[in-house]
Amino acid sequence: MRDGTATRATTTGGAVTALWTAGVTVVLAGMPLLARDRLPDRLATHWGLDGEVPDGSMPLWAASLFPALIWLVTAAAVIVPLLRAGPAAHPWTTAVLLPMGIVLTGAQAAVIRSNLDRADWHEARQPTGWVVAILVAAVLAGVAGWLLVSRRRGTPDDTATPDEGAPALDIPKGRRLVWFSRSANPWLQLLAAGTGLVAVGALVALVGGLAAPGSLWSLFTGCAVASVACAIFSSVQARVSERGLEVSFGPLGWPGRRWAPGDIETARMEVRRPAEVGGWGYRFSGLGTTVMLRAGECLVVRPRGRRSDFAVSVDDAERGAALLNALRTNGKRG
Amino acid sequence: MLLSLDKTDTRPLHEQVAGAVRRAIAEGECAPGDRLPSARDLSEALDVNVNTVLRALRGLRDEGLLEFRRGRGVTVAEGARPHSELQIRVGELLAEAARLGYSRTDLIDMIRGLP
Repeated sequence: MRDGTATRATTTGGAVTALWTAGVTVVLAGMPLLARDRLPDRLATHWGLDGEVPDGSMPLWAASLFPALIWLVTAAAVIVPLLRAGPAAHPWTTAVLLPMGIVLTGAQAAVIRSNLDRADWHEARQPTGWVVAILVAAVLAGVAGWLLVSRRRGTPDDTATPDEGAPALDIPKGRRLVWFSRSANPWLQLLAAGTGLVAVGALVALVGGLAAPGSLWSLFTGCAVASVACAIFSSVQARVSERGLEVSFGPLGWPGRRWAPGDIETARMEVRRPAEVGGWGYRFSGLGTTVMLRAGECLVVRPRGRRSDFAVSVDDAERGAALLNALRTNGKRG
Repeated sequence: MLLSLDKTDTRPLHEQVAGAVRRAIAEGECAPGDRLPSARDLSEALDVNVNTVLRALRGLRDEGLLEFRRGRGVTVAEGARPHSELQIRVGELLAEAARLGYSRTDLIDMIRGLP
């Protein structure tokens, strides 16, 4: 029964997404063509930050196709991974495609409007008011879409009983059990090492004054930040003890997150793939937060009072979840 | 890996921690070459002082069950599993002997007397 409803909801969601994508494409490509009698040969498409005068232009056909192309590529990038992942990762389509469509359509409308009835693109004036209005509308639409979709998704989950089918370990009386697990992603570690080397090289060149500092500084900063981020999320340790679940990242075990046994509603094991959660690393998706370092077993917990899960890809997750559930129920009784 | 500590045990804590790790190795919870959680992690999770944990780990290294490697932390040594199983059985033998009224020296004499 619930499966039937879910399938129907997914199909409706898919149809709405397809309709929105197609509609925005048609509007983006069609607007300049429809108004071509009242537009100059080249359209002003870019204005500098300071002046009213345009500093970039495109021929009519490019102004028609270029935004539509950007839109289609973005839509494909968002939709294709989600098609493979199934309906669970759905809120992202709304949160990305709704504001993005509004921004592009609004920008296209603003471009057309400022070029309308001008003899030459140099005469077009910057549509500042429009730009502000478009951005505000896009942000509002994004927030509204996210709330709408996540609320609709959240409702059936709330009615599910958390204890149903959750594994639990039998803790013998007077015993203290602790569970440790970890996982690492060698590619991320390699990436961290590689970008780290480039950053060090750039720093040495900077200090030695071998090259112009301008671009070198940005190279150093970019690579250093990338290296640290990759290093932090290239390995993860999880442990379950009487203190609860503790998850820490990176070789230094920092940063980390902790939930006391009482803060957890339920724990379970789930097999997840990077495609389902949107890639590797620290991921937010329709499935909640996932620390994804490799495909396979994930320890999934539902924190108390939250509508979304936290998952971390570690080995032997089944027993970790079982121990966490046992600690949780023992704590409740004691 | 799953570690188990008996809260009613009266032996010194470092022996208990060593026993828990030894049992984990014997039961195949961690294979040779596997990295053990850091001493700090173990001490926080087991609610035991970090020096006690270090003392236990050093004891296991002297038994040949663990290897301390710079930069790689503490790993399980090659062939640690049968080794730790034997250690556990010797411990059980000692406990059984004590229950029956034999001291350690009695037991050693008995072993010496064996052909």
